Parts: sequence; C-alpha cells; structure tokens
Amino acid sequence: MVHPRRPPPPPISGKFCDDPHLDYKDVANLRRFLTAHGQILSRKRTGYCAQCQKELKQAVKRSRHLALLPFVA
Amino acid sequence: MTRLYEGMFLLDNQVVREGWPQAKARVTETLVKHGATIVSARRWDERKLAYTVKRKNRATFLLCYYEMGNEHVAAMRRDFDLSESVLRYLMLSCEGIPAGEAELAAAEQAADFTVPPPPPDDAVEPQPVAPQRRRDDGEFVVPDLDALALEDDEGEDSRPRGRRPEARASTTEA
Repeated sequence: MVHPRRPPPPPISGKFCDDPHLDYKDVANLRRFLTAHGQILSRKRTGYCAQCQKELKQAVKRSRHLALLPFVA
Repeated sequence: MTRLYEGMFLLDNQVVREGWPQAKARVTETLVKHGATIVSARRWDERKLAYTVKRKNRATFLLCYYEMGNEHVAAMRRDFDLSESVLRYLMLSCEGIPAGEAELAAAEQAADFTVPPPPPDDAVEPQPVAPQRRRDDGEFVVPDLDALALEDDEGEDSRPRGRRPEARASTTEA
C-alpha cells in the first residue's frame, strides 16, 4: 500500500530571500532557524536559496563560537 | 594594507566588576599596541552564555570597530589567546560601520554613563512561566473522566456499524 506523502511545512523565511539580514549578533532572529536541539534547519524548512543558507550557516556558527547559541541544546 | 575590522570580545565579569573603563582598556590597549586605530568601542551586552567558557557562565560583550594592517593580526590573536580577562573573541573584516554604531559608542563616552555591576556567575535568569500542572497544595490536577465520557456519548453517531443489509445479500448471492 502506498501511503500519501505528508506535505512539507511552509518555509519560515517566506518565498523570497534577497536581503535576509542575517547577523551573528541577532540571536532572536537566528533562533527561528534552529531546531529545539540547536541544529540548523534545512533549506526546505528555511526557504532560503543556497547563498542565503550559507550566510545563515556562517552566522549561526559565529554565534555558537561566542556562546550566544548552543552547539547542542 | 589597512582594513576595517569588527571585533567582539567576551570579558570576564570579575574584571568588569573592578570597573568598566579599566576592563575596556585591557582590550583597546592591546589593539593599539598592535597598531590598530579604534573607531568605536562600546559595551554590547551582558548575558548568560549558552555554554560554559573557561568555567564562566556569564560574560560582558565588548563590540569594537578598528582599522589596522593585516600583518599584525596573528600577533594580536596570540595576545588575546594568552589574556585571562578575554574569555573568547571574534574578529571579522567588515565593509563599514553599521548605522547608529557611532552614536551608541559616543553615548558611552558621556560622563553620566554608568555600567551596572554584572550579576553573580550563578544567577538564574527569570524563565517564562510554564502552564501549571499541579495545584498549589501539591496534588495532581486529574481531569474529570466521567464528564469527558458523557461528552463523548453525546457526540456519538447513532448509525449502526457494519455492512449494509443489501450489500450483504448481494455478496451471499454471488
């Protein structure tokens, strides 16, 4: 029996990501793109293009280095 | 080649308690020693850390913008690595100073600017109140199961379950 695939949840950032304003000091904004365990969400969930997803990754890693965000929660 | 850098420094709260200007000077003097020109330096925040750094749970963040040549960066990093007052640091090359940064740094230079003393290292920050699962007297809040059962009976469908009689008859003929 083929089970119907559950539709993915809508992306967090919306459809467009021309100017995402991702800064390692903006912790409250970065937390939106983390799971409860502190992992970075995938592109499917964030809705970002590849370039913006890289900027998100860089900002989260900088915040983790400064102990603003946890590596593992 | 001179570049503009952004530096974020985690300062030990024990050093900050002795005086914010002295704690700030420990970083800025190291920057100047290696040929940097301080554009702005201000206290960014004091907060609980997400994990323990050098056995400290809280730290004061100092945000600096400075210009310097790249030939002294390695020596400066070594100084900050050996410093006991700087718990951790992050240095980035940046294009320009964000809007409003100069005003915030100038406000810190004012005579009436005071930095509140940092709380103790084991201070607990107020957490958002979770929904209460227990009563104040220590008893569990048990839902009224009889009332829930009555609600289910009222909403129950009265139609008979199973296959329809005509469908059953057709199957027996086949």
